[in-house]
Amino acid sequence: MTRWFDEASEKGSAVVSSRVRLVRNLDGYVFPSRMTSGESAEMVRRLKGGLRELDSLDGKSYEYLDLTELGSLEKKALTERRVINTTIAAKKEPSGLIFSEAEDTGILLNGSDHVRIQVMASGLKLPELWKQANKIDDYIGERFSYAFDEKYGYLTSFPTNMGTGLRASVILHLPALSLGKKFNGMVTEMSRFGAAVKGVYGEGSENYGALYQVSNQKTLGISEKEILELVTKVALQLASQEEQVRRMAMEKHSLECADEAYKSYGVLKYARRLSQKDAMIFLSQMMSGVTDGILQFKEPCSLYRIMLGIQPGNLQLGADRPFDKEELDAVRAAFVREELPELI
Amino acid sequence: MLCERCKIREANIQYTEIVNGVKTEHHFCAQCAKELDFGPYSAIFDSDFPLGKLLSGLLGVGETAGEEQVQVVCPTCGLSYEEFVKNSRFGCPDCYGVFDLLISDKIKQLQGNDSHKGKQPEDWKRKQKEMAAGSVFGSQKEAQADSQAKAGETGAEGNLESETVSAGSGRSIPEIEEEIRVLDARRQEAIRREEYETAAQCRDRIKELREEIGL
Repeated sequence: MTRWFDEASEKGSAVVSSRVRLVRNLDGYVFPSRMTSGESAEMVRRLKGGLRELDSLDGKSYEYLDLTELGSLEKKALTERRVINTTIAAKKEPSGLIFSEAEDTGILLNGSDHVRIQVMASGLKLPELWKQANKIDDYIGERFSYAFDEKYGYLTSFPTNMGTGLRASVILHLPALSLGKKFNGMVTEMSRFGAAVKGVYGEGSENYGALYQVSNQKTLGISEKEILELVTKVALQLASQEEQVRRMAMEKHSLECADEAYKSYGVLKYARRLSQKDAMIFLSQMMSGVTDGILQFKEPCSLYRIMLGIQPGNLQLGADRPFDKEELDAVRAAFVREELPELI
Repeated sequence: MLCERCKIREANIQYTEIVNGVKTEHHFCAQCAKELDFGPYSAIFDSDFPLGKLLSGLLGVGETAGEEQVQVVCPTCGLSYEEFVKNSRFGCPDCYGVFDLLISDKIKQLQGNDSHKGKQPEDWKRKQKEMAAGSVFGSQKEAQADSQAKAGETGAEGNLESETVSAGSGRSIPEIEEEIRVLDARRQEAIRREEYETAAQCRDRIKELREEIGL
């Protein structure tokens, strides 16, 4: 089964993926953090029962996962693929996950809130994703009564989600822009507009892979449409700045750019040991090479999928015991060799 | 700017020290800051320091918690205002109403706004419509509530008068409960407007009424 992040990396844009997340709670029940284990189990059962015919809504095929029964490595792998977050992965009380085969749609039951709807796709597609999430939201709203207040909107566990309960985010690959001196200033400026920009795999210069996430900071007093427009605008702005810087680099230093991209491919294609940091740096440089049109593969290849695959949880999926660092580096190198197709 | 200690990572913590009137500024990364001793502030740089706790700064930690604040507890889920501030997390939908007055300004600080704009649930909209449609009885009730509210507004004399009426007329418990609700709304509104005398009058009157119906 192909998953949403298998979509091949293509020449052109710095945009990697988009995500829309909606948080909802049912009226008349306390939030998950105040529930006993029994109440949590009952809530999961109730929601799961109400959503059992979700397939009929959008024709996707959905599976159910009891998160309490999942091992810590499996949860880690799901966290790395951004299906659940670390808070949920650490949660002991009953919670469940309904997710589509392609992993692009997920409904988390009784996590921090009763319901968390998440839809992801590659590329910049926030309005489309909102449409899908909104449809699921209406579907759930027909079956359950939501906790809602005229003044505070949808009532959520955390005050940072109240109102629309909507978080729209876009992942961008910004290797050139983030090296520049002005980058921190740009990030601060974006926050003045209500958009948060942060490193996906770390802060500042330690964000190996140069993936950045843009999302809306506020959820109250700003409509869904405004949120989607804001995040799209900021993402487009950053992506176009990145593309501009890269075009300049290609014009002035095309040999260096090509050298970097091909060297990265060489290392990744033949290395026998790869630390996460090195793998992320080389994959990022290859990503730039693909965007600039320097590298072309014989078969479709998603570098973002490889980036997700080399994280420790995903590398150890299916292993009968946890690996130590040496083993992990060897497994990582083997995985990357296997995944990278030949160049044209 | 790079961290002045390790000179590797980006400095994201600015530390200003004033010794004998001499002010010096330092810039550290979170990791180095954690290793240095900032006394009571050290915990902030701990990697385990949850974001929620940072938020609680905005929500009121550090303010001297007034006695009134400490005592506010949500009757539905048992969450106290103190716990809410500590974890930056509500316990149930009713907490919003219970803590409304205390959080309204903080929410505005946090979200830049204090009222929702956007989607409303279909069933909620339906209910609102039904309430508006079935308003023959509703409007009478509202008018009654209004007049009671106004009675509260006129102050102590008005209150005294209504007290004699209620004591003499032997009103039913639901009626008195309704008055308590109205008075409570008035009290909250008064606090919002910082009219503490009116708020105190409402509070005393609520207390009397509660005693009257044995609450």
